[in-house]
Amino acid sequence: MEVRIENLTKAFTSQKGPEVIAVNNMSFVIPDGKLVGLLGPSGCGKSTTLYMIAGLHKPTEGTIFFGDEEVTNVPPEHRGIGLVFQNYALYPHFTVRQNITFPLDNVRPKLSKQDKEAIAHEMARIVDIEPYLDRKPKELSGGQQQRVAIARALSKRPKVLLLDEPLSNLDARLRLQTREEIKRIQRETGITTVFVTHDQEEAMSISDIIVVMKDGIVQQIGEPQSVYDEPGNLFVAKFLGSPAINIFDGEIKKNVLFVEGVKLEEGEIYKKPFVLEEKIELPRQLDEKGNPIGEVQYETKTTEVLDRKVKVGIRPESFRLNQEKGLISIRKHYIEHIGRDISIVGEIDGQSASHVKVIIPSELRAQVIDKEVSKFEPSRFYVFEENGTRIK
Amino acid sequence: MTDKPNLTENNATVETESLSIGSYVEGTTLQVAKPKWFMPEWLKALIALVPALFFLIIFMIYPIINTFLLSFLEDFNWIGGSGSSFAIVNWIYSLNPDFRGNPAFWSFNNYVNVIGDPSFINSIINTALMVVVSVPLTIVISLLIAVCLNSIKVLQGFFQTVFFLPYVTNSIALGMVFNVMFSKGGPINSVFGLDFNWLLAAAGATRWSMFFVVTIYSVWNGLAFKILVFMSGLATIDKQYYDAARIDGASKTKIFARITVPLLSPQILYITITSFIGAFKAYTSVIALFGNGAYDFGGTGGKEWMTVVGYVYIMMQRSQIGRAAAASIILLLLILAITLVQTLVSKKRVHY
Repeated sequence: MEVRIENLTKAFTSQKGPEVIAVNNMSFVIPDGKLVGLLGPSGCGKSTTLYMIAGLHKPTEGTIFFGDEEVTNVPPEHRGIGLVFQNYALYPHFTVRQNITFPLDNVRPKLSKQDKEAIAHEMARIVDIEPYLDRKPKELSGGQQQRVAIARALSKRPKVLLLDEPLSNLDARLRLQTREEIKRIQRETGITTVFVTHDQEEAMSISDIIVVMKDGIVQQIGEPQSVYDEPGNLFVAKFLGSPAINIFDGEIKKNVLFVEGVKLEEGEIYKKPFVLEEKIELPRQLDEKGNPIGEVQYETKTTEVLDRKVKVGIRPESFRLNQEKGLISIRKHYIEHIGRDISIVGEIDGQSASHVKVIIPSELRAQVIDKEVSKFEPSRFYVFEENGTRIK
Repeated sequence: MTDKPNLTENNATVETESLSIGSYVEGTTLQVAKPKWFMPEWLKALIALVPALFFLIIFMIYPIINTFLLSFLEDFNWIGGSGSSFAIVNWIYSLNPDFRGNPAFWSFNNYVNVIGDPSFINSIINTALMVVVSVPLTIVISLLIAVCLNSIKVLQGFFQTVFFLPYVTNSIALGMVFNVMFSKGGPINSVFGLDFNWLLAAAGATRWSMFFVVTIYSVWNGLAFKILVFMSGLATIDKQYYDAARIDGASKTKIFARITVPLLSPQILYITITSFIGAFKAYTSVIALFGNGAYDFGGTGGKEWMTVVGYVYIMMQRSQIGRAAAASIILLLLILAITLVQTLVSKKRVHY
């Protein structure tokens, strides 16, 4: 089932304080049978989006389609979705078996007892909780509860499966294991799945498509690797990747890109000017007391800027060690040993305000260990305007 | 037990150390002073409990034991009858040298008499009827009202207050209001176009018309507190269960029956037990309705809707202390048995 979201907006109004726009004019398509991760920092509207797809929140504006059917005003009980809540919301008074079969009692009431039992066992097998069918949720560990929640969501054969921060209550090891489990279950069932997370590593590792959000606005949509390789703006570049991307102050001067005073590249793309749009308030007529009359009117003034300050992002793993000809000299503070790689934490030589982290294979350790300053060549970098848009 | 002495010793060390910080002089040895006497935990607890225990023993425990013993004393009377030197009150009397007590005469006669008394049997039937009809009714109605109140958003506080008003109203006053409402020219008759006296037997009220009013009165009188308990219970249920149930395709009635009621079961159990006990002790409701004093239970003989507690009072009024005690003990056993059954059932049905 393809899920299509068009111009979705959700504004929360409260008696005190101003209206909060949680989701702002959002549109995207989730292809049939894909696992999509909604990714963003907390408060970016990703859970709100999920609850609107579920039908628990009513959108202020916009439409939601499941396939060709518009479901914007369909109540959640008739949408045919499965939802796994952040804290699972398993019915505490039911056994695991009853939790799994409860949706069946509602959606397919004519099902015989044997069939229900068979489905319960089948679901329990998929999520690997068969031995615990007769237990109550509180007698299970967090990971087991999480899997029961998935089984409950799957048992009624939903058209769309929604997961709200499904791994946030699990410990690190269980989180790794469960996210692979979710991927496997999704592959096995082929159900279109949307899941919400603030953990970029989690989203990258299991999603077919990720949707990066910030302040209720979609920043970028795409396959995890392509979003990582080609971030659309500064926010996406900063948000994806661990350790985070290094951001340097740069400058474009006469079609040449400089980073912290070092000439990095010359190219056609730096010949394109940055179009600065300014809103200028027009002078208004004044009444006899000297107060302006009428509404404020603006005029947009565009200026083209060629030489300007920019931001340059270089991922820690994009640095190539080149002690002879490297463009960027990094003064090392200390070295972190991560096992497979080592990372050098330091500053750009001569720029004590800068902070940089470089990851290189650990076999190159001997070449940098004794040197105060090492030279590096960036294999790949991204240039952003000061307002965050990418120059390419 | 083994770490208790250690604990006190540690406390003592800390205390002396902190005391000696200023006065510590190099070369002197730190002396650990052992406290002479520590008050044990149980004694502290006992001291805290004494005020409550004092009144409980005087006004609860002693009367229960006394009632139990009195119920087996034949012909007990404060002064002249058998065992008149027995009860503590009489024992105080007996300190007077002129007082002559009679020896206690033990028997089951009080029980035999009470059970053989048709008006006691009548009062048992009456009480049972009230329990069976009014208790389930009030529980169901108050549960429905609580759920409705919980789901409305506009004027919720106002309606809560309205439904809580009966609780702060005097039950005798309520009874008088009901008496007027169900009288021949009262509002109930006018609204339903009837011309019928509901409560006055001499003017044509039947046993069942009286019962109808008694039931409505006790249901309405009991609503407020139950609604309050149910609403506080509903407030503790995580809203996410309702979202989950909606996602799971459950209808409103199904959510109520399979999510709300089970999750509210601790409150339902509490209300069930207390209302059963309250209904078994019914007395004021009947007295307040008929409004002719403490011993009028309606009907031509004033005995129509006599309750067990009413029977006990009448026996006491007639100085039949032994019978009153026996009837009380029978009532106690009845309540005990019912409560026991309820707790046993609840083990399976209540989800904490």
